[in-house]
Amino acid sequence: MSEPISLALVILVLPLAAALLTASWSGEILKKAAHWPLIISCAVSTVLAFLLVGQVTDFATGRIISSPVTWFAAGKLKVNFTITIDALSATMLAMITFVSTMIAVFSSGYMRGDKGYARFFAVMSVFVFSMCGLVLANNFILLVAFWEGVGLCSYLLVGYYFEKPSAAAAARKAFLVTRLGDTGFLLGIFLLWRMGGWHTDLTALFDHIQKNPPDQGTLTTACLLLFCGAVGKSAQFPLYVWLPDAMEGPTPVSALIHAATMVTAGVYLLARCAPLFALSPDAQITVAWIGGLTALLAAFIALAQTDLKRILAYSTVSQLGYMFLALGTCGAISPTFAVTAAMFHLFTHAFFKALLFLSAGSVMHAMGGVIDVRYFRGLRKRLPVTHITFLCGAAALAGVPLLSGFWSKDLILESLTEASESNSPYTAGYFTLLLLAFFTAFLTAFYTFRAYFLTFWGEEKIPEEAGHHLNGAKGGVHESPSVMTLPLIVLAAGALLVGIVLEPFTHWFSDFLGTTPSLGQVRTPSAVSVKGEEHHFNWTIAIISSVFALGGIGLAAVMYRKGEEKLPAGLEPVFTLSRNKLYVDDIYYAVLVKPAEVLAFLARVFDGFLDALSRLVAAIPRFIGQWIRPIQNGLVQFYALWMAMGLAVFLSFVFRITR
Amino acid sequence: MTDPLLQQTLKGVFRLAAPEIALIGTACVVFLFGCMYNRRWLWFAVSLAGVGLAAILAGTVKTQMPAVVTAAPIIPDTAAAFVRWVAIITAAVLVFVSWGEVDGANAAEYYGCLLVAAAGVSLVGRANDLITLFLALELLSIPTYVLLYLPARSKLNQEAAAKYFLLSVMSSAIMLFGFSYLYGLTGSTNLVVITDTVTKAHAETLNPMALLAAVFVVAAMGFRITAVPFHFYAPDVYEGGPLGVVAQIAFFPKVAGFVALARVLGLFASDPRHIPFDAYTQLPLLLWILAIMTMCVGNVLALLQDNIRRMLAYSSVAHGGYMLMGVVIASSLPDVNPDAKNQPGIGGMDALLVYLVAYGMMTIGAFAVILFLSTPDRPVESIDDLAGLGRTHPVSAAAMAIFLFSLIGLPLTAGFAGKLLLFIGAINAPTHTTEMRDLYRVMAIVAAVNAAVAAYYYLRVIGVMYLRSPIRQPSDSRAYPTALAAVVLAGATLFFGIYPQPIVKAARNAAPVPATKATVANPKQ
Repeated sequence: MSEPISLALVILVLPLAAALLTASWSGEILKKAAHWPLIISCAVSTVLAFLLVGQVTDFATGRIISSPVTWFAAGKLKVNFTITIDALSATMLAMITFVSTMIAVFSSGYMRGDKGYARFFAVMSVFVFSMCGLVLANNFILLVAFWEGVGLCSYLLVGYYFEKPSAAAAARKAFLVTRLGDTGFLLGIFLLWRMGGWHTDLTALFDHIQKNPPDQGTLTTACLLLFCGAVGKSAQFPLYVWLPDAMEGPTPVSALIHAATMVTAGVYLLARCAPLFALSPDAQITVAWIGGLTALLAAFIALAQTDLKRILAYSTVSQLGYMFLALGTCGAISPTFAVTAAMFHLFTHAFFKALLFLSAGSVMHAMGGVIDVRYFRGLRKRLPVTHITFLCGAAALAGVPLLSGFWSKDLILESLTEASESNSPYTAGYFTLLLLAFFTAFLTAFYTFRAYFLTFWGEEKIPEEAGHHLNGAKGGVHESPSVMTLPLIVLAAGALLVGIVLEPFTHWFSDFLGTTPSLGQVRTPSAVSVKGEEHHFNWTIAIISSVFALGGIGLAAVMYRKGEEKLPAGLEPVFTLSRNKLYVDDIYYAVLVKPAEVLAFLARVFDGFLDALSRLVAAIPRFIGQWIRPIQNGLVQFYALWMAMGLAVFLSFVFRITR
Repeated sequence: MTDPLLQQTLKGVFRLAAPEIALIGTACVVFLFGCMYNRRWLWFAVSLAGVGLAAILAGTVKTQMPAVVTAAPIIPDTAAAFVRWVAIITAAVLVFVSWGEVDGANAAEYYGCLLVAAAGVSLVGRANDLITLFLALELLSIPTYVLLYLPARSKLNQEAAAKYFLLSVMSSAIMLFGFSYLYGLTGSTNLVVITDTVTKAHAETLNPMALLAAVFVVAAMGFRITAVPFHFYAPDVYEGGPLGVVAQIAFFPKVAGFVALARVLGLFASDPRHIPFDAYTQLPLLLWILAIMTMCVGNVLALLQDNIRRMLAYSSVAHGGYMLMGVVIASSLPDVNPDAKNQPGIGGMDALLVYLVAYGMMTIGAFAVILFLSTPDRPVESIDDLAGLGRTHPVSAAAMAIFLFSLIGLPLTAGFAGKLLLFIGAINAPTHTTEMRDLYRVMAIVAAVNAAVAAYYYLRVIGVMYLRSPIRQPSDSRAYPTALAAVVLAGATLFFGIYPQPIVKAARNAAPVPATKATVANPKQ
């Protein structure tokens, strides 16, 4: 076992150890100090992850695969415990551990005094463990194991405030909706296993498919099935409905799971499987369209929401859609470029979205749990640090020039431009998506700053509930403790600078990610393969997107700088539509839930019918023999009748078919 | 009877059944002295000693294949060994589990019946003769009637016992009817002779009488594996029966049913030329329908239940449906060519055995937890009775959660490994016609959707346990052996989820995958 592998294993094991420690000593010893294991393990893991990033470029082949340990084997099915380290997984690892550390520190302040303090940190540790495992796994089944682990932790954390029925319902919704996608994911894996030379190891499977290209139809089916899993986990249309509801969980959970890490698992999966998707143009354009539509739809819904966390949740859905947009171009343009664009946006998004959520958490903390922007405004004096950090995050999200969101969005837009100029069969589609992406950028800037102005500008207004928070007086509303503001400041610095440092001038990120061997070896069918993907800065795109971003911010400033929502008459219907989430939830209810309820009702009716029938059958012998009643209520005959009838049907079936 | 080999074969029978003899012998001792000493711990210890003795005998007595297989009533093949170990280990677990509900007055009868039932299961695994098979199945059924009636405290209880008795007798009658046809057709009660003769006959023309017999056997076994529409007794019996016995009924008859089915249909043969009812006979199609129907009906009805026992009953029906997939896959191995290099990945029976073991751990475990929490005056009936268990009984709740996660089929639990093998087996089932292969894919997809739906009702229980506040006083149960069994089973569920290789290996050793030609190379027969 080489050194980087042991390093990766240590990173993986540390959060698990923290989880076990917290869970087993939560009773007395760690009651007040339950946050320490998570913080320490995450911090150490972060340091190690950065060491690992430093080592990756020295690998001879660009990656190191651990020697496989058989998990279980049956015939051609062989499942190994094996992990791989390349630029892609190292980047993810560093991002996950770093953001987790920040959020762990923040939570130690935010969750203080909560009943389930230890439970919270134990589950968070398991979550970090699962997420690290997910990005390291080099075997599909192993990946599924961690994938489900992540989903489970999400379930437990969304349902953290289990006294609230809405929280319990949201938790169940999140778990079940993502599982729906996972069903497709599993079937996709089985299909890949069949056509991939019976390999379950990612690298071996990709190699096999590169060498023996399967027929397009099957490959597209497999890719789309994999994409099902990603759609569920990364909350894309039509399975995005769980993410906004998942905001019922504690705010740090929203920041960690529903903005920075778990929801990016789908993006990571597609980036990891880029060698497959690159071979199937149909699958790519589907990914791109789903991503584009989700981006637009979610941005539109975010326009009129009043719950600060929900605005951010829809924005997450929308930004994830952006990432899928970029991934959908992979193959039409060089996969390295497409994946770099998506991963870079993922990376910067992790910073500014975690920052925005934590700032929102800080607001919520000060407001005594109120998070509806209608009930407070003008908080910039009361919460100066939070105000500044939220502004940094919002500006980065809106794509203000020179901030990190700007650079990563620019890469995505550029990948779309190139795709529309490539000789892929779907150039028109990519061009439409480009326009869509521009419009979404405008919406993004608008709703982000709407939330910002409504929260921090205008006359000061503080809800009743905030009074109960501390000191019993309104004067008690104050900035959060430094243990909470410190992570905010660190993340804000990241949100401002991480983009400009890593990419536009230095190309560190793309060069580093370009060393991922699975991306380099892809043969695209359209064979355009933009050679030497030197990133030329595209002034046209940059200027257009800046104009859209600043336009959105400007409009928001004009409309909301008083901190109050006053709508021009013409926009009212649009906002109503947006406020009702485009009626998607209602449509789902009508199309999916209602029929299910009707079906359940019918089943009950049928049940009742059977019951009545059985009573009827029972009535006859009851007249005959009252004396054997204790052991017989008549149902038995009915059951026996069914068994005999079943047998008769079987017989007639077999003989009819055979004849 | 003059043939020395034949004599040797028949004399060797006792040696082949030594552990079963030990189990039944212990049971006899327990029955005999039970009326003199009514101490729970004594019979508990004696039963454990009996099971231990059986295990030692099973491990030490050397056996070899009888010289004349076509005359041997009992054969010690690898499948038989697998079933025997499952029976012995389960018997030990059940002795612990049932501690919570036996009392001094009925301890001897209870434990005695349990040992006899375990011996019955073990014998089903090695029966090579219709008579032995029938006797072994009755050896399992009859003690179960007694067990269901033993602690008869309520009407519900008596009703369950009566229902189980009547329907079980009916299914035995159906089975005997099928057996009589098999005997009439082949002139032998020996299973090897029967499968060989029927296979040879089917190579020329299909014998409708053989098919009739097979359908009757499937129907009779359908009762034991709770296949729809032979499942009706399950919810009532699970609801009314004593919990320890229900745990047994949920597992033992399923093992016996599947193994007996595989024996009669010749599915344990390592050479698929001996499958008398292959895909041409439409029997696999019938089983396909049975599997789909069973899993769908089980899951849909489980969704509607508020009573935890009824929910687990329908869940057990649904799991029976998943396991039937294994039989469907195994009965569809055609196009024999033992020399072909390209072997099918999974033979069906191996996946079934893995699933069976996993299912046993999680289902018995779930019932053990409920049994531990139930006290006579405050039984756990509805799902709401488990509210807030996470706080009042953290260990029980954690164990229950592990079992439920395993029933859902989450990775790193034993249930996942079982489901994975079955699904992959179904997707990859070798078939000679493309139409059939598509049917197997459809089956895999239906099963996957079912598994996803099933998460709902299991998750509901977990939600109630952890996300609700307790509504009743914590149970003051002192059934520590029951709790110990539950914890051990939870540990095993996790262990074999993380490292399923030992079970997979044992199962594949018990049911070797037959060699067939690759489907890809030869899509048309």
